Amino acid sequence: MAIGIKKVDSNITLTLWERMYAPEIIRGLYITMRHFTVNLWGLALEALGRRDKRKIMTVYYPEETLTPPPAYRGRPVLVRAENGLEKCVACGLCEVACPPKCIKITGGERENGDRYPLTYELDGGRCIFCGFCEEVCPKDAIVMSAEWRELCEYGRARMVYQKEALLYPQRNLQKRINLIRSRYFGVSRYRGKA
Amino acid sequence: MSELIRPGYDFHKETHTEPMVINMGPSHPATHGTVRFFLTLDGEIIEQIEVEIGYLHRAFEKECENQFWNGVFPYTDRLDYTAAALNNVGYALAAEKLIGITVPERCQYLRVIAGELARLSGHYTNLGAAALELGALTAFIYFVEARELVWDLIESLCGARLTHNYVRIGGVTADLPEGFAEHAREVFRRNRELWDDFAKLLLKNRIFLDRMRATGGISRQDAIEWGFTGPCLRACGVPYDVRRAQPYLVYGQLDFDIPVGETGDNLDRFLVRLEEINQSIRILEQCLERIPPGPINVDNPEWRQPSKDDIHRDMESMIFHFKNTFEGQKIPAGEVYQAIEGANGELGFYLVSSGAGKPLKCRVRPPCFALTSAMPLMVKGAFLADLIPTFDMINLIGGECDR
Ligand code: SF4
Ligand code: SF4
Repeated sequence: MAIGIKKVDSNITLTLWERMYAPEIIRGLYITMRHFTVNLWGLALEALGRRDKRKIMTVYYPEETLTPPPAYRGRPVLVRAENGLEKCVACGLCEVACPPKCIKITGGERENGDRYPLTYELDGGRCIFCGFCEEVCPKDAIVMSAEWRELCEYGRARMVYQKEALLYPQRNLQKRINLIRSRYFGVSRYRGKA
Repeated sequence: MSELIRPGYDFHKETHTEPMVINMGPSHPATHGTVRFFLTLDGEIIEQIEVEIGYLHRAFEKECENQFWNGVFPYTDRLDYTAAALNNVGYALAAEKLIGITVPERCQYLRVIAGELARLSGHYTNLGAAALELGALTAFIYFVEARELVWDLIESLCGARLTHNYVRIGGVTADLPEGFAEHAREVFRRNRELWDDFAKLLLKNRIFLDRMRATGGISRQDAIEWGFTGPCLRACGVPYDVRRAQPYLVYGQLDFDIPVGETGDNLDRFLVRLEEINQSIRILEQCLERIPPGPINVDNPEWRQPSKDDIHRDMESMIFHFKNTFEGQKIPAGEVYQAIEGANGELGFYLVSSGAGKPLKCRVRPPCFALTSAMPLMVKGAFLADLIPTFDMINLIGGECDR
């Protein structure tokens, strides 16, 4: 357990062998050719239909796309519960917590007294994908989806999502809801054990 | 010059040359981070240099004054965007020092893991870009691959590749995902291979050595006087590293080395950073081995983000949650300075609280500002071509320097 000090050796001298031009060129080419061959072999595997065996960093977008890990924060979306209504109760927490202030809500009330968002506007051009809205929402009504493709538009006005464009059925988002529920182990859970 | 032609020949007088004034940047390929050099050249020799920064100024400090304490985190991500989690950690530690809380041990380990991954990404970017600008495109590609792999890790932990927004006051957002340690080991194995290839391509390369060695040098005394920190100071042979001088988090319990150089030239800076990559991987491996189980947030609903369960069930947590979100956490009045070792040197946060939910002042000590201000000292009288490796090794990050 110690933080030591290590001297780096900057006194790099080239031996006669290394100063001769050709051997060093060959050594350098060996390194680059190795990478090149791996990539070329990947191309052959692609042609043989064994894409999964490839050892290439890049993917053939858009035919092939990456699946982001569960923790990934994509476009924030609203959850539509099984009964077809939005879960949001227009409490305004996400509106306050959003750092670039890109959420605008007007609340309304249903006949049975439940509150719901009359309008819910999320400016995708301002959103910084921070995930605070998801974190503060007391109803699990807004979550970060895995959606990251084709969010660009011709013009900022078209990036403003209205409520209908944001609503996603809950069953598509259940994984994410479970994930955020498992976050921040509960105080109560640990208080009981202490 | 004159004696080269014939005795008594005054080159300047007879050819009527005048120093040439040129503008390098702000959008020159080598001035990444957007900076402008105002150069006065005598032939290829730099006579005068003025560095103009501020192109990426976006009022970070003013912006923070309008955010709640926790809302500042996304903004700190954008300081040194190549190593975002380190900024998160620095800010969180400063705020926690002001409150007077310490996070649980597992959380400290998680912060070290996120921070060191970020340091790796910062060094890969810096060294790769330096190689690229000296003509070694292939080496750059290898380190970009290594960086992508590290970002995969960061993404699975923090949820984003670049702007992690991972740390919170009183804890972190997420625990290690399943299989993280195995994934990390796989990545480190591949990254070591890439590191080897990178080093092999460059360290015996005559052109690279000639352009790096004995350029942009600064003496140890000057470096200290100009406020150097980080790899650039260590390259001069001063073993100052905040992780060692004032250990924070769990760095005191870990086993690693601080690489130091000797001459303080660009080659030493390069080698120090190259070795730091190895040391960071060493730290990460130890952390993944030793990380203890336990909570990842403080056990106090006032200073933490409550879990969804608590918001639904625990009355106290719910009240604090609404209060904290609407008014911000009421951090006690006072001021504090906390420094951590950023990818580039000592990254300090100076926070002032008036007891309200928003910071009264959030000042950052960016490591590369001090380094950039010494640029004229390092390149005056040198060749124009020496400016490129020197500027690369200074590693000016516009987001951090201009804020
Ligand atoms: S992700 Fe962040 S920026 Fe985007 S809507 Fe949510 S809180 Fe606002
Ligand atoms: S925090 Fe949740 S419930 Fe409250 S307004 Fe936002 S989305 Fe609706």
